[in-house]
Amino acid sequence: MTYLLICVPFVLVSTIIAVISLRRMPAGTRARRALAVAIGAAVLLALTAVFDTVMISAGLFGYAEGTRLGATIGLAPVEDFAYPIAAVLLVPAVWTLVVSPRRGSGRPERAPHTASDDDGRAS
Amino acid sequence: MTGFVYLGALLASIGAMALVDARWRLAFWRHPWAAAIAVGTGTALLLVWDLVGIGFGVFFRGDSVWATGVLLAPELPVEEPVFLAFLCYLSLVVVLGVERLLARRRPVDGSSATTAAGAAGGAGVAGAAGAVGPSATVDRGADAAPEVRA
Repeated sequence: MTYLLICVPFVLVSTIIAVISLRRMPAGTRARRALAVAIGAAVLLALTAVFDTVMISAGLFGYAEGTRLGATIGLAPVEDFAYPIAAVLLVPAVWTLVVSPRRGSGRPERAPHTASDDDGRAS
Repeated sequence: MTGFVYLGALLASIGAMALVDARWRLAFWRHPWAAAIAVGTGTALLLVWDLVGIGFGVFFRGDSVWATGVLLAPELPVEEPVFLAFLCYLSLVVVLGVERLLARRRPVDGSSATTAAGAAGGAGVAGAAGAVGPSATVDRGADAAPEVRA
């Protein structure tokens, strides 16, 4: 259980930043990014299942008994899959926030996002 | 002699991915600072995560013949930050690469941005309309167009 609980705050932070970056995109770009993140996550999870197993069987690292849920995919503990999930949420989101910073400055973070607002952003 | 296999494999993978990045101008070859900040932030977060795990006694370093055995901190081998940077860089390249592919398949998305983005938008339409082979350079226009407004 310990390992799973450790994962929670990091995945949560990554998810929040991903949502913030999505909310700042125009509608078309947002849909495309969401799909790209989903496909990217599938790719990374598959790679993790393979290479985490390879790395564990090579003896590169190990896990203390009693800290894991116990379920594994290959040799990889299910908690390990939180790492690629956090990475695929966080890293492209930070990239986007740096590339296209928020337009204007007075707009509240939680302002309702209307269709006309999205159109406005694209023009 | 085998101690550098893991570190070498990581560096070779990062190098190969940099070639992909450079060829299709996805991340560091598109917005170097944004890529550096994104990969740096991700690596830092995952490293803190590792340290918390080590602190709670979840992880320990294996005594592998494939690792250098050099430690940055107790149970934290020198390879770990390299691996985490690799994972973050891979995430960025995969997502931005898939995004590029989706933009090529659905030019509608690109064209909404092209109306305003002028020359870059025009290039995007050209890329969407034609080119089968060396279209990567043109497609970049379509994909980059939404960022032109920034």
